[in-house]
Amino acid sequence: MLTIMKCGVIIAFLFSIASLSFLVLKTFSYGKKKLYAEPRGDVKKGIVYAFGKGMMPWEKESARNHLPTYIGGIFYHTGIFLALLYLLGAILVIQLPAAVILFLRVLCLAGFLSGLALLVKRIFSPVLRALSCPDDFAANIIVDIFLILSFLHTLRPAPDITLFLFASAAIMFLYIPLGKIRHCFFFFYVRVLFGIFYGRRGVFPHISYKV
Amino acid sequence: MSENKNETPGNKDPFDEKIEQLSAADREKALKAFGGKINREYAAYFNSCVHCGLCADSCHYYLTHQDIQSLPAYKLGLVIGIFKKYFSFTGKNMPRWVGAKSFDNQMVKEWVDSLYGRCSLCGRCSLNCSIGINIPALIRAARGALTAIGLVPPGLQSTIETAVKKGNNMGIAREDWLDTASWLEEELQTEIADPAARIPMNQKDARYFYTINPREAMFFPLSITAVAKLFHAAGESWTLAGEGYDLTNYGLYSGDDETAGMLSDRLVQAMTKLGCKTLVLGECGHGFKSSRWEAPEWLGKKYGFEVKSILEVAAGFIREGRIKLDPSKNREPVTLHDPCNLVRMGGIVEEQRFILKHAVSNFIEMVPNREKNFCCGGGGGQLAMAQFSQRRLKAGGVKAEQIRKTGAKIVVAPCHNCIDQLMELNKHYRLDVKIKTVCEIAADALVL
Repeated sequence: MLTIMKCGVIIAFLFSIASLSFLVLKTFSYGKKKLYAEPRGDVKKGIVYAFGKGMMPWEKESARNHLPTYIGGIFYHTGIFLALLYLLGAILVIQLPAAVILFLRVLCLAGFLSGLALLVKRIFSPVLRALSCPDDFAANIIVDIFLILSFLHTLRPAPDITLFLFASAAIMFLYIPLGKIRHCFFFFYVRVLFGIFYGRRGVFPHISYKV
Repeated sequence: MSENKNETPGNKDPFDEKIEQLSAADREKALKAFGGKINREYAAYFNSCVHCGLCADSCHYYLTHQDIQSLPAYKLGLVIGIFKKYFSFTGKNMPRWVGAKSFDNQMVKEWVDSLYGRCSLCGRCSLNCSIGINIPALIRAARGALTAIGLVPPGLQSTIETAVKKGNNMGIAREDWLDTASWLEEELQTEIADPAARIPMNQKDARYFYTINPREAMFFPLSITAVAKLFHAAGESWTLAGEGYDLTNYGLYSGDDETAGMLSDRLVQAMTKLGCKTLVLGECGHGFKSSRWEAPEWLGKKYGFEVKSILEVAAGFIREGRIKLDPSKNREPVTLHDPCNLVRMGGIVEEQRFILKHAVSNFIEMVPNREKNFCCGGGGGQLAMAQFSQRRLKAGGVKAEQIRKTGAKIVVAPCHNCIDQLMELNKHYRLDVKIKTVCEIAADALVL
């Protein structure tokens, strides 16, 4: 049964990758906007800013003013990334050192709790509720289940939990291209675009102006 | 939907009636225009919004109105919903699940109300977006789809038509413009007691071709004189032009790239005709963004000349020691408004500060400032759209509060659109401040 489920995870993963690749190809088929205006600033520095300082709470008002959500978001996404690595280890049956497992356990739990908190916020905040569609809730719940099962698996890697973990991972992979989780694929590209836009124009970083 | 929209009770807005009468073919046309504007960057943005709502506090409309329709993610959601419904697999097959929306007349109405009436395209939400989505670019694209079916709010449309037909957005006749420039030249000569002082017109091969917002010629001629003083003091070769001098471009706001390109091309033609080296853009935020950053894209070609803001030129004069300013001539406390199109989306951030450092003795920054500054509320074509003026004034409350907190007596704004809005805010919120351009205050400090 475990082997079948393991195959299911791999097939779901391949489906996810194929679908997302198709989505990316479709996105790129819209064509690139050509830029003719003479740059004023440095695109590379803009991109570095976009992935570094530009995401820091002291630089970004929305992060600074919503620090618990911002921190929750960081834990949530870190937890997901590490849980995926843990899943890979579970599929390949790699024995991890105890310290690494402890590290993953803590972050999977932190990720789950953060995801849960974000879900609760979405349910109870009238503003977020008004912005949300069923996909927003489903995506969060699917990922939260994957995180809590990853956490439980780090505590007790028994076959029954492994089965549930693989099932949740398969469902998550199948869902990624269909719903908002696909943003994980586009996020990096959009940050690059952000860096290009502001870097080219000399907004980030500023063109220094000294006497 | 439109509790803040200016409407007379009982009288139906003809613009709303026009929307109600839209046919399926009209909507199809708008969708086709919308589809034509999607490039890979926009498609990536459409797939990226996570509905986190963290953009809320970055928007002056949301901060002052506190309604969901003013929230940037909601406004963006109206556009993304249409993308999903008509351009994505999941939106076509499970629309309710992913928040896809039908483009019916009610949705068109909501697009007009939110995308025109609740957004000044200031881009502050983009800086604060968790992902980094270029929200104003997408809202502009949607405005462009509305433009394709003639749904541009009347005031904005008439401004564009005037510019297209008359050569400038104020409809100033050529003779009147030439007379104004000539009169200003005489005034300048008298003021500085120098008969050699000039306001050159159609001077071929001058180094700088200076372009203006036609509101200056009509209502703020001292802005032109101020710049002339700086050029004169620096001993620089420059010129105005009898035609093709209007740097404004309201096609930026209607999302109509074709008209915007045509208007921009007039500046290019004038440059070519005059044979100048540098196109200098006067103090106008959207004019700067249009001509410096967007026009080459609209025209599909590189300029064969340099484009600069007058702030870059004036700061250069100071840095090179070609003009001397005495800050003690401006003793009142001064604050600076950063126009979104010039600063956050234009990159002219430090030049105005450099000039003011030399021109005034008591400079106080607003908080927040530079690219993080709040919009005054006058951008995005808001000043031209009378039906949304009450909202515009209310949204400007954030800026009014920023100004009040500085305790400044003079607000400097390098943008004539912003100046118009600031003048209204000054009256509405009883700020009791004077409002000037950067060059005006620099000219006041000029040592001749």
